[in-house]
Amino acid sequence: MEFSRRISQLLHEDHAETISLIEMLEDMIAKARKNAPDINDAAVRKTLEKSAAMIEHELNHHFSFEEDELFTRLEEAGDASIGEHLREEHAAILPLGENVATLAAQALNQGFSQESWTEFRNLAGELIERMLSHIQKEEMSLLPMLEDLLEPEMDMELAEAFEQSQQ
Amino acid sequence: MGGAKDRLLPASVPFRFFVSATVFQVLFWAMLFYAADEVPGFADGLGPVLAAVHLTTLGVLAMTAMGATYQLLPVATRQPLARVWPTRLSYWLFMPGTLLLTWGMAAYSLHTLYTGAAMTVLGLSVFGILTADNLRRASSSLPVVALHGWVAMASLLGLMALAVLLIADFAHGFIDDPDRLALGHVILAVFGFMGMLVFGFSHVLIPMFALSRSMPANLAWSELALTTLALLVTVLGALSGYFWLLMAGAVLGLVAVASYLWLMRHALKTRMRKRLGLAFVLVRISWAMLALSVVVGLVVLSSDFIPNGIALFGFLALAGWMLTFLGAILQRIMPFLATMHGSGKGGKPLLLSDLTLERPLQIHAILHPLAVVLCSVGIVADLPQLIMLGAVAGLVGALSFVVFVGYIVFRVKQKL
Repeated sequence: MEFSRRISQLLHEDHAETISLIEMLEDMIAKARKNAPDINDAAVRKTLEKSAAMIEHELNHHFSFEEDELFTRLEEAGDASIGEHLREEHAAILPLGENVATLAAQALNQGFSQESWTEFRNLAGELIERMLSHIQKEEMSLLPMLEDLLEPEMDMELAEAFEQSQQ
Repeated sequence: MGGAKDRLLPASVPFRFFVSATVFQVLFWAMLFYAADEVPGFADGLGPVLAAVHLTTLGVLAMTAMGATYQLLPVATRQPLARVWPTRLSYWLFMPGTLLLTWGMAAYSLHTLYTGAAMTVLGLSVFGILTADNLRRASSSLPVVALHGWVAMASLLGLMALAVLLIADFAHGFIDDPDRLALGHVILAVFGFMGMLVFGFSHVLIPMFALSRSMPANLAWSELALTTLALLVTVLGALSGYFWLLMAGAVLGLVAVASYLWLMRHALKTRMRKRLGLAFVLVRISWAMLALSVVVGLVVLSSDFIPNGIALFGFLALAGWMLTFLGAILQRIMPFLATMHGSGKGGKPLLLSDLTLERPLQIHAILHPLAVVLCSVGIVADLPQLIMLGAVAGLVGALSFVVFVGYIVFRVKQKL
Protein backbone atom coordinates (compact mmCIF):
# COMPACT_ATOMS: atom_id res chain seq x y z
CA MET A 1 0.00 0.00 0.00
CA GLU A 2 1.01 3.61 -0.28
CA PHE A 3 0.93 5.61 2.90
CA SER A 4 1.05 9.29 3.65
CA ARG A 5 2.94 8.72 6.93
CA ARG A 6 6.63 7.94 6.61
CA ILE A 7 6.65 5.41 9.44
CA SER A 8 3.78 3.45 7.86
CA GLN A 9 5.67 3.40 4.58
CA LEU A 10 8.90 2.20 6.25
CA LEU A 11 7.10 -0.59 8.09
CA HIS A 12 5.37 -1.56 4.86
CA GLU A 13 8.72 -1.75 3.04
CA ASP A 14 10.05 -3.91 5.85
CA HIS A 15 7.06 -6.20 5.42
CA ALA A 16 7.77 -6.43 1.70
CA GLU A 17 11.34 -7.58 2.43
CA THR A 18 10.10 -10.15 4.91
CA ILE A 19 7.58 -11.48 2.39
CA SER A 20 10.31 -11.76 -0.21
CA LEU A 21 12.30 -13.91 2.25
CA ILE A 22 9.22 -15.96 3.07
CA GLU A 23 8.70 -16.69 -0.62
CA MET A 24 12.34 -17.77 -0.96
CA LEU A 25 11.95 -20.09 2.03
CA GLU A 26 8.73 -21.50 0.59
CA ASP A 27 10.46 -22.12 -2.74
CA MET A 28 13.34 -23.90 -1.08
CA ILE A 29 11.05 -26.11 1.02
CA ALA A 30 8.74 -26.86 -1.92
CA LYS A 31 11.65 -27.87 -4.16
CA ALA A 32 13.47 -29.98 -1.58
CA ARG A 33 10.38 -31.57 0.01
CA LYS A 34 11.48 -34.30 2.42
CA ASN A 35 15.07 -34.55 1.18
CA ALA A 36 17.58 -32.10 2.59
CA PRO A 37 18.64 -29.55 -0.05
CA ASP A 38 22.19 -29.18 -1.26
CA ILE A 39 23.67 -26.19 0.54
CA ASN A 40 26.15 -25.66 -2.29
CA ASP A 41 23.24 -24.73 -4.54
CA ALA A 42 23.44 -20.94 -4.99
CA ALA A 43 19.71 -20.33 -4.39
CA VAL A 44 19.69 -22.49 -1.26
CA ARG A 45 22.77 -20.71 0.12
CA LYS A 46 21.29 -17.29 -0.55
CA THR A 47 18.04 -18.23 1.19
CA LEU A 48 19.84 -19.61 4.21
CA GLU A 49 22.14 -16.59 4.43
CA LYS A 50 19.22 -14.20 4.26
CA SER A 51 17.31 -16.26 6.80
CA ALA A 52 20.21 -16.34 9.23
CA ALA A 53 20.88 -12.63 8.94
CA MET A 54 17.50 -11.09 8.45
CA ILE A 55 15.18 -13.02 10.71
CA GLU A 56 17.15 -12.66 13.88
CA HIS A 57 18.33 -9.11 13.42
CA GLU A 58 15.53 -7.39 11.57
CA LEU A 59 12.58 -9.25 13.03
CA ASN A 60 13.81 -8.48 16.51
CA HIS A 61 14.23 -4.78 15.75
CA HIS A 62 10.97 -4.50 13.87
CA PHE A 63 9.00 -6.14 16.68
CA SER A 64 10.76 -4.23 19.47
CA PHE A 65 10.14 -0.96 17.68
CA GLU A 66 6.46 -1.71 17.23
CA GLU A 67 6.02 -2.78 20.84
CA ASP A 68 8.00 0.08 22.40
CA GLU A 69 7.06 2.95 20.13
CA LEU A 70 3.79 2.17 18.40
CA PHE A 71 1.62 -0.06 20.56
CA THR A 72 2.28 2.19 23.56
CA ARG A 73 1.01 5.17 21.56
CA LEU A 74 -2.06 3.24 20.47
CA GLU A 75 -2.69 2.36 24.13
CA GLU A 76 -2.40 6.03 25.09
CA ALA A 77 -4.93 6.81 22.36
CA GLY A 78 -7.31 4.28 23.95
CA ASP A 79 -6.78 1.53 21.37
CA ALA A 80 -5.03 -1.12 23.43
CA SER A 81 -6.44 -4.35 22.05
CA ILE A 82 -4.73 -4.40 18.69
CA GLY A 83 -1.34 -4.00 20.37
CA GLU A 84 -2.23 -6.75 22.80
CA HIS A 85 -3.11 -9.16 19.99
CA LEU A 86 -0.07 -8.31 17.88
CA ARG A 87 2.20 -8.67 20.94
CA GLU A 88 0.84 -12.19 21.44
CA GLU A 89 1.73 -12.95 17.83
CA HIS A 90 5.21 -11.44 18.25
CA ALA A 91 5.74 -13.70 21.26
CA ALA A 92 4.86 -16.72 19.12
CA ILE A 93 6.88 -15.65 16.06
CA LEU A 94 10.12 -14.45 17.62
CA PRO A 95 11.33 -17.75 19.15
CA LEU A 96 10.40 -19.50 15.90
CA GLY A 97 12.37 -16.95 13.91
CA GLU A 98 15.38 -17.30 16.19
CA ASN A 99 15.31 -21.09 15.87
CA VAL A 100 15.05 -20.91 12.08
CA ALA A 101 17.93 -18.41 11.97
CA THR A 102 20.10 -20.64 14.18
CA LEU A 103 19.36 -23.75 12.09
CA ALA A 104 20.03 -21.80 8.88
CA ALA A 105 23.40 -20.61 10.23
CA GLN A 106 24.32 -24.15 11.32
CA ALA A 107 23.31 -25.52 7.92
CA LEU A 108 25.53 -23.00 6.17
CA ASN A 109 28.51 -24.39 8.10
CA GLN A 110 27.70 -28.08 8.30
CA GLY A 111 24.94 -28.75 5.79
CA PHE A 112 21.63 -30.35 6.68
CA SER A 113 21.30 -33.82 8.13
CA GLN A 114 17.96 -35.50 7.46
CA GLU A 115 16.98 -34.75 11.05
CA SER A 116 17.99 -31.09 11.04
CA TRP A 117 16.27 -30.59 7.68
CA THR A 118 13.00 -32.03 9.03
CA GLU A 119 13.26 -29.73 12.03
CA PHE A 120 14.10 -26.73 9.84
CA ARG A 121 11.25 -27.52 7.46
CA ASN A 122 8.68 -27.78 10.26
CA LEU A 123 9.82 -24.63 12.03
CA ALA A 124 10.15 -22.60 8.85
CA GLY A 125 6.70 -23.80 7.73
CA GLU A 126 5.14 -22.54 10.94
CA LEU A 127 7.11 -19.30 10.77
CA ILE A 128 5.93 -18.67 7.20
CA GLU A 129 2.30 -19.20 8.16
CA ARG A 130 2.44 -17.03 11.26
CA MET A 131 4.38 -14.24 9.56
CA LEU A 132 2.03 -14.01 6.59
CA SER A 133 -1.06 -13.82 8.73
CA HIS A 134 0.67 -11.33 11.05
CA ILE A 135 1.73 -9.06 8.20
CA GLN A 136 -1.78 -9.15 6.74
CA LYS A 137 -3.18 -7.98 10.07
CA GLU A 138 -0.62 -5.20 10.39
CA GLU A 139 -1.16 -4.03 6.82
CA MET A 140 -4.92 -4.14 7.25
CA SER A 141 -5.25 -2.56 10.67
CA LEU A 142 -2.08 -1.25 12.30
CA LEU A 143 -0.66 0.81 9.44
CA PRO A 144 -3.95 2.50 8.50
CA MET A 145 -4.50 3.29 12.19
CA LEU A 146 -1.11 5.02 12.34
CA GLU A 147 -2.17 7.09 9.34
CA ASP A 148 -5.11 8.37 11.36
CA LEU A 149 -3.35 8.70 14.68
CA LEU A 150 0.02 10.31 14.01
CA GLU A 151 0.69 14.00 13.56
CA PRO A 152 3.44 14.88 11.01
CA GLU A 153 6.02 15.79 13.68
CA MET A 154 5.49 12.58 15.61
CA ASP A 155 5.63 10.69 12.33
CA MET A 156 9.05 12.15 11.51
CA GLU A 157 10.39 11.34 14.99
CA LEU A 158 9.20 7.75 14.74
CA ALA A 159 10.56 7.34 11.21
CA GLU A 160 13.99 8.55 12.34
CA ALA A 161 13.92 6.26 15.36
CA PHE A 162 12.97 3.31 13.17
CA GLU A 163 15.71 3.99 10.65
CA GLN A 164 18.27 4.27 13.46
CA SER A 165 17.10 1.00 14.98
CA GLN A 166 17.69 -0.72 11.64
CA GLN A 167 21.33 0.41 11.42
CA MET B 1 -7.68 -7.43 12.31
CA GLY B 2 -10.28 -5.48 14.14
CA GLY B 3 -8.08 -2.44 14.42
CA ALA B 4 -9.10 -2.94 18.00
CA LYS B 5 -10.90 -5.85 19.56
CA ASP B 6 -13.78 -3.42 20.04
CA ARG B 7 -14.24 -3.79 16.33
CA LEU B 8 -13.80 -7.56 16.42
CA LEU B 9 -17.26 -8.96 17.09
CA PRO B 10 -17.79 -12.13 19.11
CA ALA B 11 -17.04 -15.06 16.80
CA SER B 12 -20.65 -16.22 17.07
CA VAL B 13 -21.93 -13.11 15.22
CA PRO B 14 -20.26 -13.37 11.80
CA PHE B 15 -19.97 -17.16 12.00
CA ARG B 16 -23.71 -17.76 12.44
CA PHE B 17 -24.27 -15.93 9.14
CA PHE B 18 -21.44 -17.76 7.39
CA VAL B 19 -22.52 -21.20 8.61
CA SER B 20 -26.12 -20.52 7.56
CA ALA B 21 -24.96 -19.32 4.14
CA THR B 22 -23.09 -22.58 3.54
CA VAL B 23 -26.17 -24.59 4.51
CA PHE B 24 -28.39 -22.47 2.24
CA GLN B 25 -25.95 -23.17 -0.58
CA VAL B 26 -26.69 -26.89 -0.16
CA LEU B 27 -30.43 -26.14 -0.21
CA PHE B 28 -29.97 -24.06 -3.38
CA TRP B 29 -28.36 -26.89 -5.35
CA ALA B 30 -30.90 -29.38 -4.00
CA MET B 31 -33.77 -27.13 -5.10
CA LEU B 32 -32.13 -26.63 -8.51
CA PHE B 33 -31.98 -30.41 -8.90
CA TYR B 34 -35.65 -30.69 -7.96
CA ALA B 35 -36.69 -27.88 -10.31
CA ALA B 36 -34.37 -28.81 -13.20
CA ASP B 37 -37.26 -29.27 -15.68
CA GLU B 38 -38.43 -25.69 -15.18
CA VAL B 39 -35.03 -23.96 -15.09
CA PRO B 40 -34.27 -23.42 -18.82
CA GLY B 41 -37.48 -21.56 -19.61
CA PHE B 42 -37.71 -19.71 -16.32
CA ALA B 43 -38.33 -15.97 -16.46
CA ASP B 44 -40.61 -15.22 -13.50
CA GLY B 45 -43.48 -16.52 -11.34
CA LEU B 46 -43.86 -18.49 -8.13
CA GLY B 47 -42.55 -22.05 -7.90
CA PRO B 48 -39.41 -24.01 -7.06
CA VAL B 49 -37.15 -22.09 -9.48
CA LEU B 50 -38.03 -18.77 -7.83
CA ALA B 51 -37.43 -20.48 -4.48
CA ALA B 52 -34.00 -21.66 -5.71
CA VAL B 53 -33.18 -18.14 -6.84
CA HIS B 54 -34.04 -16.74 -3.40
CA LEU B 55 -32.25 -19.54 -1.57
CA THR B 56 -29.12 -18.25 -3.24
CA THR B 57 -29.76 -14.47 -3.26
CA LEU B 58 -31.09 -14.26 0.29
CA GLY B 59 -29.85 -17.48 1.87
CA VAL B 60 -26.30 -17.45 0.57
CA LEU B 61 -25.47 -14.02 -0.83
CA ALA B 62 -27.30 -11.66 1.53
CA MET B 63 -26.54 -13.92 4.50
CA THR B 64 -22.81 -13.81 3.72
CA ALA B 65 -23.00 -10.08 3.03
CA MET B 66 -24.59 -9.45 6.43
CA GLY B 67 -22.00 -11.46 8.34
CA ALA B 68 -19.12 -9.99 6.37
CA THR B 69 -20.42 -6.42 6.62
CA TYR B 70 -20.95 -6.65 10.38
CA GLN B 71 -17.35 -7.80 10.80
CA LEU B 72 -15.50 -6.01 8.00
CA LEU B 73 -17.23 -2.66 7.77
CA PRO B 74 -16.11 -1.53 11.25
CA VAL B 75 -12.56 -2.40 10.17
CA ALA B 76 -12.88 -0.39 6.96
CA THR B 77 -14.64 2.57 8.58
CA ARG B 78 -12.60 2.32 11.82
CA GLN B 79 -15.81 2.71 13.80
CA PRO B 80 -17.28 -0.05 15.97
CA LEU B 81 -20.90 -1.06 15.50
CA ALA B 82 -23.25 0.95 17.73
CA ARG B 83 -24.63 -2.21 19.38
CA VAL B 84 -24.00 -5.94 18.93
CA TRP B 85 -27.44 -7.30 19.93
CA PRO B 86 -29.22 -5.97 16.81
CA THR B 87 -26.88 -8.12 14.69
CA ARG B 88 -28.33 -11.18 16.44
CA LEU B 89 -31.85 -9.82 16.08
CA SER B 90 -31.34 -9.33 12.35
CA TYR B 91 -30.16 -12.94 12.07
CA TRP B 92 -33.11 -14.38 13.96
CA LEU B 93 -35.51 -12.44 11.76
CA PHE B 94 -33.69 -13.00 8.49
CA MET B 95 -32.66 -16.67 8.64
CA PRO B 96 -36.08 -18.19 9.48
CA GLY B 97 -37.70 -15.52 7.31
CA THR B 98 -35.71 -16.71 4.31
CA LEU B 99 -36.66 -20.33 5.02
CA LEU B 100 -40.35 -19.43 5.20
CA LEU B 101 -40.21 -17.16 2.16
CA THR B 102 -38.55 -19.76 -0.05
CA TRP B 103 -40.81 -22.52 1.27
CA GLY B 104 -43.81 -20.32 0.45
CA MET B 105 -42.48 -19.74 -3.06
CA ALA B 106 -41.76 -23.42 -3.70
CA ALA B 107 -45.09 -24.61 -2.26
CA TYR B 108 -47.19 -21.76 -3.74
CA SER B 109 -48.28 -20.91 -0.19
CA LEU B 110 -49.01 -17.19 -0.05
CA HIS B 111 -49.49 -17.05 3.74
CA THR B 112 -46.10 -18.64 4.36
CA LEU B 113 -44.62 -16.36 1.72
CA TYR B 114 -46.06 -13.24 3.40
CA THR B 115 -44.82 -14.25 6.87
CA GLY B 116 -41.38 -15.06 5.49
CA ALA B 117 -41.24 -11.85 3.48
CA ALA B 118 -42.18 -9.73 6.50
CA MET B 119 -39.48 -11.35 8.64
CA THR B 120 -36.90 -11.09 5.87
CA VAL B 121 -37.63 -7.41 5.24
CA LEU B 122 -37.47 -6.69 8.98
CA GLY B 123 -34.15 -8.54 9.31
CA LEU B 124 -32.70 -6.70 6.33
CA SER B 125 -34.00 -3.41 7.72
CA VAL B 126 -32.19 -3.94 11.03
CA PHE B 127 -29.07 -4.75 9.02
CA GLY B 128 -29.56 -1.65 6.86
CA ILE B 129 -29.97 0.64 9.88
CA LEU B 130 -26.88 -0.72 11.65
CA THR B 131 -24.82 -0.49 8.48
CA ALA B 132 -26.01 3.01 7.61
CA ASP B 133 -25.23 4.17 11.15
CA ASN B 134 -21.72 2.77 10.88
CA LEU B 135 -21.19 4.35 7.45
CA ARG B 136 -22.44 7.69 8.81
CA ARG B 137 -19.72 7.62 11.48
CA ALA B 138 -17.00 6.45 9.04
CA SER B 139 -13.61 8.09 9.21
CA SER B 140 -12.42 9.69 6.01
CA SER B 141 -9.73 7.12 5.34
CA LEU B 142 -11.60 4.78 2.98
CA PRO B 143 -14.25 6.95 1.36
CA VAL B 144 -14.55 4.82 -1.77
CA VAL B 145 -15.42 1.73 0.27
CA ALA B 146 -17.91 3.71 2.37
CA LEU B 147 -19.60 5.13 -0.73
CA HIS B 148 -19.96 1.66 -2.25
CA GLY B 149 -21.65 0.80 1.04
CA TRP B 150 -24.06 3.74 0.72
CA VAL B 151 -25.03 2.75 -2.84
CA ALA B 152 -25.56 -0.83 -1.62
CA MET B 153 -27.82 0.41 1.19
CA ALA B 154 -29.84 2.59 -1.20
CA SER B 155 -30.20 -0.46 -3.47
CA LEU B 156 -31.30 -2.56 -0.51
CA LEU B 157 -34.03 -0.04 0.26
CA GLY B 158 -35.16 -0.02 -3.38
CA LEU B 159 -35.12 -3.79 -3.78
CA MET B 160 -37.10 -4.30 -0.57
CA ALA B 161 -39.75 -1.79 -1.69
CA LEU B 162 -40.07 -3.54 -5.06
CA ALA B 163 -40.14 -6.95 -3.35
CA VAL B 164 -43.06 -5.87 -1.15
CA LEU B 165 -44.96 -4.60 -4.21
CA LEU B 166 -44.30 -7.78 -6.18
CA ILE B 167 -45.36 -10.03 -3.31
CA ALA B 168 -48.56 -8.03 -2.80
CA ASP B 169 -49.18 -8.36 -6.54
CA PHE B 170 -49.08 -12.18 -6.31
CA ALA B 171 -52.37 -12.02 -4.41
CA HIS B 172 -54.06 -8.89 -5.73
CA GLY B 173 -52.67 -8.46 -9.26
CA PHE B 174 -52.84 -4.67 -9.19
CA ILE B 175 -49.61 -3.94 -11.11
CA ASP B 176 -50.03 -3.54 -14.88
CA ASP B 177 -46.57 -4.72 -15.83
CA PRO B 178 -44.98 -6.67 -12.94
CA ASP B 179 -42.15 -7.84 -15.23
CA ARG B 180 -40.66 -4.35 -15.20
CA LEU B 181 -40.68 -4.25 -11.41
CA ALA B 182 -39.27 -7.76 -11.25
CA LEU B 183 -36.38 -6.79 -13.54
CA GLY B 184 -35.70 -3.67 -11.44
CA HIS B 185 -35.77 -5.84 -8.31
CA VAL B 186 -33.29 -8.33 -9.81
CA ILE B 187 -30.87 -5.61 -10.95
CA LEU B 188 -30.99 -3.83 -7.59
CA ALA B 189 -30.52 -7.10 -5.70
CA VAL B 190 -27.69 -8.63 -7.73
CA PHE B 191 -25.77 -5.64 -9.08
CA GLY B 192 -26.93 -2.97 -6.62
CA PHE B 193 -27.00 -4.47 -3.14
CA MET B 194 -24.70 -7.48 -3.52
CA GLY B 195 -22.63 -6.13 -6.41
CA MET B 196 -21.76 -2.88 -4.68
CA LEU B 197 -20.82 -4.67 -1.45
CA VAL B 198 -18.63 -7.09 -3.41
CA PHE B 199 -16.99 -4.27 -5.39
CA GLY B 200 -16.50 -2.15 -2.26
CA PHE B 201 -15.05 -4.88 -0.07
CA SER B 202 -12.83 -5.97 -2.97
CA HIS B 203 -10.94 -2.69 -2.45
CA VAL B 204 -10.00 -3.96 1.02
CA LEU B 205 -9.96 -7.74 0.83
CA ILE B 206 -8.11 -8.37 -2.42
CA PRO B 207 -5.16 -6.10 -1.49
CA MET B 208 -5.16 -7.59 2.02
CA PHE B 209 -4.94 -11.21 0.89
CA ALA B 210 -2.59 -10.48 -2.01
CA LEU B 211 -0.62 -7.96 0.08
CA SER B 212 -0.68 -5.44 -2.71
CA ARG B 213 -0.63 -1.70 -3.08
CA SER B 214 -3.81 0.23 -2.46
CA MET B 215 -5.92 0.94 -5.52
CA PRO B 216 -5.01 4.06 -7.52
CA ALA B 217 -7.46 6.68 -6.24
CA ASN B 218 -8.52 8.03 -9.64
CA LEU B 219 -9.29 4.54 -10.98
CA ALA B 220 -11.15 3.62 -7.80
CA TRP B 221 -13.33 6.73 -8.03
CA SER B 222 -13.94 6.08 -11.74
CA GLU B 223 -15.05 2.54 -10.97
CA LEU B 224 -17.45 3.80 -8.30
CA ALA B 225 -18.87 6.52 -10.57
CA LEU B 226 -19.30 4.16 -13.52
CA THR B 227 -20.86 1.40 -11.44
CA THR B 228 -23.29 3.77 -9.76
CA LEU B 229 -24.25 5.40 -13.06
CA ALA B 230 -24.69 2.01 -14.76
CA LEU B 231 -26.87 0.82 -11.91
CA LEU B 232 -29.02 3.94 -11.94
CA VAL B 233 -29.52 3.93 -15.71
CA THR B 234 -30.25 0.19 -15.85
CA VAL B 235 -32.78 0.33 -13.03
CA LEU B 236 -34.48 3.37 -14.56
CA GLY B 237 -34.53 1.57 -17.92
CA ALA B 238 -36.06 -1.54 -16.35
CA LEU B 239 -38.73 0.34 -14.39
CA SER B 240 -39.66 2.77 -17.17
CA GLY B 241 -39.73 0.13 -19.87
CA TYR B 242 -37.57 2.28 -22.18
CA PHE B 243 -35.52 -0.30 -24.02
CA TRP B 244 -32.81 2.15 -25.10
CA LEU B 245 -32.27 3.20 -21.49
CA LEU B 246 -31.93 -0.42 -20.41
CA MET B 247 -29.42 -1.04 -23.21
CA ALA B 248 -27.47 2.08 -22.30
CA GLY B 249 -27.35 0.88 -18.69
CA ALA B 250 -26.13 -2.56 -19.75
CA VAL B 251 -23.38 -1.04 -21.93
CA LEU B 252 -22.37 1.22 -19.06
CA GLY B 253 -22.45 -1.86 -16.83
CA LEU B 254 -19.96 -3.58 -19.10
CA VAL B 255 -17.65 -0.55 -18.90
CA ALA B 256 -18.07 -0.48 -15.10
CA VAL B 257 -17.19 -4.17 -14.86
CA ALA B 258 -14.12 -3.54 -17.04
CA SER B 259 -13.01 -0.73 -14.71
CA TYR B 260 -13.50 -2.98 -11.66
CA LEU B 261 -11.53 -5.79 -13.28
CA TRP B 262 -8.80 -3.31 -14.25
CA LEU B 263 -8.52 -2.29 -10.60
CA MET B 264 -8.32 -5.91 -9.48
CA ARG B 265 -5.66 -6.57 -12.11
CA HIS B 266 -3.69 -3.65 -10.69
CA ALA B 267 -4.00 -5.13 -7.19
CA LEU B 268 -2.72 -8.50 -8.36
CA LYS B 269 0.07 -7.01 -10.47
CA THR B 270 1.43 -4.99 -7.54
CA ARG B 271 1.09 -7.75 -4.97
CA MET B 272 3.91 -8.69 -2.61
CA ARG B 273 2.58 -12.23 -2.14
CA LYS B 274 3.17 -14.32 -5.23
CA ARG B 275 1.45 -17.54 -4.17
CA LEU B 276 -2.22 -16.81 -3.80
CA GLY B 277 -3.52 -20.35 -3.47
CA LEU B 278 -6.73 -22.09 -4.40
CA ALA B 279 -9.06 -19.29 -3.31
CA PHE B 280 -7.68 -16.96 -5.94
CA VAL B 281 -8.25 -19.55 -8.67
CA LEU B 282 -11.93 -19.27 -7.74
CA VAL B 283 -11.69 -15.48 -7.52
CA ARG B 284 -10.37 -15.35 -11.09
CA ILE B 285 -13.11 -17.71 -12.28
CA SER B 286 -15.72 -15.52 -10.59
CA TRP B 287 -14.36 -12.41 -12.33
CA ALA B 288 -14.58 -14.18 -15.69
CA MET B 289 -18.16 -15.18 -14.87
CA LEU B 290 -19.00 -11.58 -13.92
CA ALA B 291 -17.81 -10.32 -17.30
CA LEU B 292 -19.53 -13.20 -19.10
CA SER B 293 -22.84 -12.60 -17.32
CA VAL B 294 -22.91 -8.94 -18.33
CA VAL B 295 -22.04 -9.82 -21.95
CA VAL B 296 -24.78 -12.46 -21.96
CA GLY B 297 -27.18 -9.88 -20.50
CA LEU B 298 -26.36 -7.49 -23.35
CA VAL B 299 -26.79 -10.19 -26.00
CA VAL B 300 -30.11 -11.29 -24.46
CA LEU B 301 -31.36 -7.70 -24.49
CA SER B 302 -30.43 -7.12 -28.10
CA SER B 303 -31.22 -10.47 -29.78
CA ASP B 304 -32.66 -13.96 -29.47
CA PHE B 305 -29.26 -15.41 -30.23
CA ILE B 306 -28.91 -17.32 -26.94
CA PRO B 307 -31.63 -19.90 -26.24
CA ASN B 308 -33.04 -19.51 -22.71
CA GLY B 309 -30.86 -16.42 -22.39
CA ILE B 310 -32.69 -14.92 -19.38
CA ALA B 311 -32.20 -18.06 -17.30
CA LEU B 312 -28.57 -18.29 -18.43
CA PHE B 313 -27.90 -14.65 -17.51
CA GLY B 314 -29.37 -15.10 -14.02
CA PHE B 315 -27.54 -18.37 -13.44
CA LEU B 316 -24.17 -17.01 -14.54
CA ALA B 317 -24.55 -13.91 -12.37
CA LEU B 318 -25.70 -15.80 -9.28
CA ALA B 319 -23.92 -19.15 -9.36
CA GLY B 320 -21.06 -18.22 -11.69
CA TRP B 321 -20.02 -14.88 -10.31
CA MET B 322 -21.45 -14.44 -6.83
CA LEU B 323 -21.37 -17.96 -5.38
CA THR B 324 -17.87 -18.55 -6.73
CA PHE B 325 -16.56 -15.24 -5.39
CA LEU B 326 -18.13 -15.63 -1.97
CA GLY B 327 -16.93 -19.23 -1.70
CA ALA B 328 -13.41 -18.01 -2.40
CA ILE B 329 -13.57 -15.15 0.08
CA LEU B 330 -15.22 -17.23 2.81
CA GLN B 331 -12.49 -19.86 2.61
CA ARG B 332 -9.92 -17.14 3.29
CA ILE B 333 -11.80 -14.94 5.72
CA MET B 334 -13.24 -17.61 8.03
CA PRO B 335 -9.96 -19.20 9.18
CA PHE B 336 -8.41 -15.71 9.32
CA LEU B 337 -11.15 -14.46 11.64
CA ALA B 338 -11.04 -17.66 13.65
CA THR B 339 -7.34 -17.13 14.45
CA MET B 340 -8.40 -13.94 16.21
CA HIS B 341 -10.55 -15.95 18.62
CA GLY B 342 -8.88 -18.33 21.05
CA SER B 343 -5.38 -19.77 21.26
CA GLY B 344 -3.66 -22.92 20.10
CA LYS B 345 -0.95 -25.07 21.68
CA GLY B 346 0.88 -23.44 24.59
CA GLY B 347 -1.31 -20.33 24.44
CA LYS B 348 0.05 -19.39 20.99
CA PRO B 349 -2.34 -17.78 18.51
CA LEU B 350 -4.03 -20.40 16.31
CA LEU B 351 -2.46 -21.30 12.98
CA LEU B 352 -4.51 -21.04 9.79
CA SER B 353 -3.49 -24.60 8.90
CA ASP B 354 -4.87 -25.82 12.24
CA LEU B 355 -8.27 -24.61 11.08
CA THR B 356 -8.23 -25.40 7.39
CA LEU B 357 -9.14 -28.76 5.85
CA GLU B 358 -7.64 -28.66 2.38
CA ARG B 359 -9.39 -31.69 0.86
CA PRO B 360 -12.99 -30.37 1.11
CA LEU B 361 -11.81 -27.09 -0.40
CA GLN B 362 -10.18 -28.92 -3.30
CA ILE B 363 -13.37 -30.92 -3.92
CA HIS B 364 -15.43 -27.71 -3.83
CA ALA B 365 -12.98 -25.93 -6.16
CA ILE B 366 -13.39 -28.66 -8.77
CA LEU B 367 -17.09 -29.38 -8.42
CA HIS B 368 -18.44 -25.85 -8.14
CA PRO B 369 -17.04 -24.59 -11.48
CA LEU B 370 -18.01 -27.93 -13.04
CA ALA B 371 -21.57 -27.43 -11.79
CA VAL B 372 -21.66 -23.93 -13.28
CA VAL B 373 -20.52 -25.22 -16.67
CA LEU B 374 -22.88 -28.23 -16.71
CA CYS B 375 -25.92 -26.22 -15.65
CA SER B 376 -25.13 -23.41 -18.11
CA VAL B 377 -24.88 -25.85 -21.01
CA GLY B 378 -28.03 -27.59 -19.74
CA ILE B 379 -29.90 -24.28 -19.74
CA VAL B 380 -28.83 -23.31 -23.26
CA ALA B 381 -29.37 -26.82 -24.69
CA ASP B 382 -32.64 -27.20 -22.77
CA LEU B 383 -31.43 -30.44 -21.19
CA PRO B 384 -32.84 -30.84 -17.66
CA GLN B 385 -30.78 -34.02 -17.18
CA LEU B 386 -27.60 -32.00 -17.61
CA ILE B 387 -28.87 -29.41 -15.14
CA MET B 388 -29.59 -32.23 -12.69
CA LEU B 389 -26.06 -33.57 -13.17
CA GLY B 390 -24.67 -30.07 -12.61
CA ALA B 391 -26.84 -29.63 -9.53
CA VAL B 392 -25.48 -32.89 -8.09
CA ALA B 393 -21.91 -31.65 -8.68
CA GLY B 394 -22.83 -28.34 -7.03
CA LEU B 395 -24.51 -30.14 -4.15
CA VAL B 396 -21.47 -32.32 -3.42
CA GLY B 397 -19.22 -29.26 -3.70
CA ALA B 398 -21.47 -27.34 -1.31
CA LEU B 399 -21.49 -30.26 1.15
CA SER B 400 -17.69 -30.31 1.03
CA PHE B 401 -17.76 -26.63 1.89
CA VAL B 402 -20.03 -27.39 4.85
CA VAL B 403 -17.39 -29.86 6.09
CA PHE B 404 -14.70 -27.15 5.77
CA VAL B 405 -16.82 -24.61 7.67
CA GLY B 406 -17.98 -27.15 10.26
CA TYR B 407 -14.36 -28.03 11.05
CA ILE B 408 -13.46 -24.38 11.66
CA VAL B 409 -16.44 -23.91 13.97
CA PHE B 410 -15.56 -27.12 15.82
CA ARG B 411 -11.93 -26.01 16.30
CA VAL B 412 -12.86 -22.52 17.42
CA LYS B 413 -15.39 -23.88 19.92
CA GLN B 414 -12.71 -26.24 21.24
CA LYS B 415 -10.35 -23.32 21.82
CA LEU B 416 -12.76 -20.78 23.29
